Amino acid sequence: MNCLDFRRQIGAEPASHDVAVVQHRAECATCAAYQDELLAMDVLLARAMRISLRPPESGAKTRPAPRSTVPPRRWLALAASLVIGILVAATLWVSYPAPTLASEVIGHVSHEPGAWNARDPLGADAIGAVLAPSGIRLRDGAVEVTFAKRCFFERHWVPHLVVQTVNGPVTVLLLAHRQVESLAHIDGQDFTGVVLPAPRGSIAIVGRNVSGLDDIARQVFEAVEWDV
Amino acid sequence: MLPAPARYRFAVFERALAGPEINPPKARSLYMNSDDRGTDRQRRFGALCEALRPDLIRFAFWLARDRALAEDVVQEALLRAWKSFDALTDEAKAKQWMLTIVRREHARTWERKRLETVNLDALVQAEAPVLASDDDAALAEMREALFRLDDDYREPLVLQVMMGYTTNEIAAHLGLTQGAVLTRLFRARHKLRTAMAVDGTENEA
Repeated sequence: MNCLDFRRQIGAEPASHDVAVVQHRAECATCAAYQDELLAMDVLLARAMRISLRPPESGAKTRPAPRSTVPPRRWLALAASLVIGILVAATLWVSYPAPTLASEVIGHVSHEPGAWNARDPLGADAIGAVLAPSGIRLRDGAVEVTFAKRCFFERHWVPHLVVQTVNGPVTVLLLAHRQVESLAHIDGQDFTGVVLPAPRGSIAIVGRNVSGLDDIARQVFEAVEWDV
Repeated sequence: MLPAPARYRFAVFERALAGPEINPPKARSLYMNSDDRGTDRQRRFGALCEALRPDLIRFAFWLARDRALAEDVVQEALLRAWKSFDALTDEAKAKQWMLTIVRREHARTWERKRLETVNLDALVQAEAPVLASDDDAALAEMREALFRLDDDYREPLVLQVMMGYTTNEIAAHLGLTQGAVLTRLFRARHKLRTAMAVDGTENEA
């Protein structure tokens, strides 16, 4: 099986256990990373398909209304109501807080708790295949990576690593697309972490009840090399 | 007020779902009389409905791309399923059986209502509350991308990812060859990847 055949088959069945697929995956780190991307997309896809079945809020669903038979003299009042409604909706829309980077990071990490269970260090090829598309490298031996995958995050594919530290595993998201002005702390749902500016974009580091985060952040920051 | 035939159909359906509350379950017996058999039938059907209804509605939603229409389709499909429940000999295949009924009911509804071609942007806007996700922007993005996929690509993908169908089962369900199903699944994922990736150059291998 060559790379093209592999990608055709994986594109239709990302979780395929076909012998030829498994064999090619073991031999080609780039195709293995591609399969991991598709598997990550399928996880997101499965969650996306499971829509909430809570009854829609009243007024949330807009059905085509029957032709109005309201007398003309009431049009003015209707128009005034409409303008007020639009103004209220616009005010709510503008003032509605966008999801913060911290909440996005926690949301992403909490959906992949199994990533922290990986214990075997990954080889340079496997890590490189995940980092290379984003123009990022890790310095040899600077950190021990036990999980590496490309994930959807804020409409971008980003490297998602799990790095083993003396204080336990931490998740590292390398966010080349996201600039931050200064270091910010993440705290919520038992997760603690930091987001720090990087030469290109930012780095999010999150652990569960992990101590010594500043030292870990420094270690990770110094381990990552960016193509600027 | 519903017309008389519709009232009758809803009464039948209500009774079918309500089974155990209306008729307390009796001890099973080899000498079960017709009332007992009826009660047992209602109980089994009620249990199946309770277990399968959420996934049936989700499936219907991704077919119809309309939450209210999905509820209607599933309601009608369950009525039909109740009427032909005796034809289901293996309850392990109930999910597949009901999905087929939902799919046919959706096609019937589509034909009956002669639904007009709709503006996709307007459709997305109308279903925004269903597609939204409070805490995960990627989830909402994916829902919209899936929502905008052509029916030919969306349905096999839903059957595979949400319902856990194999490509063989999808082929049988949709009346296609397995090769056609594989092609549709490949293209569906390719379209989703393209839709989701803002800077697609880094993702295309």
